[in-house]
Amino acid sequence: MTDEAPQDHDSGDRPPGPVALRVAGLSVAYGNVTAVHDATFTVAEADACAITGPNGNGKSSILLGITGMVRRRGTVEVFGTQAPNGDVRWMARHGLTLVPERRQLYPDLSAWDNVILGCYSWTRSLGRARRSGSFGRALDLFPELKPHLQQAAGTLSGGQQQMVAIARGLASNPKILVVDEPCLGLAEAVARRVYDALARIHADGTTLIVVEEAPKRALTLCNRRVEVRNGVAVAGVTA
Amino acid sequence: MKLGNLIIAGIVTGSIYATFAVCVSVWYRVSNILNLAVGDFAMVGALSVDNLYRVRGLPLPAAIACTLVVVAIFAWLYDMVVLRLAADGRGRAEGIVLTFFFTFALSFFIDGVAKMLFGTDVHAAPALWNGQAIAVANLHVDRAGILVLACAVLIGGMFWLYIRYTLGGKALEASGENAVGARIVGIDTRRYRRLIFVATAVIAAVFGIVESPITGYTYLSGATISLTGFIAAAYGGFRKPGRALIAGLSIGVLEALLGGYVSAEYGDTVMYAILAALVLAWPRGLGFESAVSG
Repeated sequence: MTDEAPQDHDSGDRPPGPVALRVAGLSVAYGNVTAVHDATFTVAEADACAITGPNGNGKSSILLGITGMVRRRGTVEVFGTQAPNGDVRWMARHGLTLVPERRQLYPDLSAWDNVILGCYSWTRSLGRARRSGSFGRALDLFPELKPHLQQAAGTLSGGQQQMVAIARGLASNPKILVVDEPCLGLAEAVARRVYDALARIHADGTTLIVVEEAPKRALTLCNRRVEVRNGVAVAGVTA
Repeated sequence: MKLGNLIIAGIVTGSIYATFAVCVSVWYRVSNILNLAVGDFAMVGALSVDNLYRVRGLPLPAAIACTLVVVAIFAWLYDMVVLRLAADGRGRAEGIVLTFFFTFALSFFIDGVAKMLFGTDVHAAPALWNGQAIAVANLHVDRAGILVLACAVLIGGMFWLYIRYTLGGKALEASGENAVGARIVGIDTRRYRRLIFVATAVIAAVFGIVESPITGYTYLSGATISLTGFIAAAYGGFRKPGRALIAGLSIGVLEALLGGYVSAEYGDTVMYAILAALVLAWPRGLGFESAVSG
């Protein structure tokens, strides 16, 4: 295994905007096992960036390190402000929202409750959350969820749950939306639907970071790509 | 009229069980830990007010305020020190150890301290609303009973409104359902755990103060209250405060009826037999399955 820096492939046509996310020297370790080694990359505002690479090479760990779900070494800046280590809530409040792997919904709460809880990052008022543009936009993005909004999230199909997870992320009114493996285990038609929604989110001006094992699908949407292949060095983790 | 009086007595006792059941299940919803010490906070409330008022001669409002503040501070410290180390620390405990034993140990600890401070005799906080039982058409209602019922309705209603109609209440539910998912949207799951733990401890203490003139408390009374509240909460699968409330009330009424019509001596035994039979006959409907499988 080699220790190279992750490679940036800048295939975008538009000129790079101001930096939305800057990651420098990011390392994540679980005990003695290093999952991410010295990752450095930047994502410009309004970019759609794909993080691709084979399973088990630390793509998700990069996201966990950036968002602070696990402790990291190295620095992460969001719109020029340095993020404290290990503080997920700071990220949510400063405009970077994660739609995590396996979705992490609240299974006994209704789909509607799941989505509106996204608003918790910016308000404590249920009324303001319900009337907000970000909540309305999140629901409008997935009209097929309408008949299922009162259903417990745990009883929805995989595709519907993924939509709820993305809608919850949007309800937090993010400047940067980070989506981890959005199509894992979904049928092709549903996966296309999810990508359509992501494309619309991006078209509305939200910076997008998508982690995908399959670069082909990701690159239909993304103008930038960070390749994680033996690059962000991985030690002792198997797929 | 015997039936009417028994039902009224049952509803009063049942509202106590119901309140404790609601406290147990609301905290379980946010923390996934069963609070077996909730009854001990009630006992501390009753005995400490009695001690401060009768022995040390503090005015009653001061005694009550003092007691509630001490209970709140103690609950806060317990969460900050013990639960933080146990549930959030580096060598954190998981599963059944955390679910049961940390609050079980707390219960023993409180009992021991109470025995040292208040002795082993039966005591009660002074009645807050003095006077004869109120009689309405041959039905007799204890004044303390009315207070207990009023407190139960107030507290149950407040929890219900909070969970149903505020974003904070939904965040509280989300914390227990999926802590990772809750942190992603900016919810401080530890803060909610601490908030509800302190709130339920204070609520329990208030109940002990209001209810103790009816039954009288010793330093061991907490465990009995916890147990019945715990059973009522189990009938709601530990996660459904509304169901726990109904179960608590029903258990109270059942207990009173059995005591009145079947046998004063064996009423409890028959009641637990009925409760056990219900669980065996209808586990899914009563929510036991979700309690066991999480």
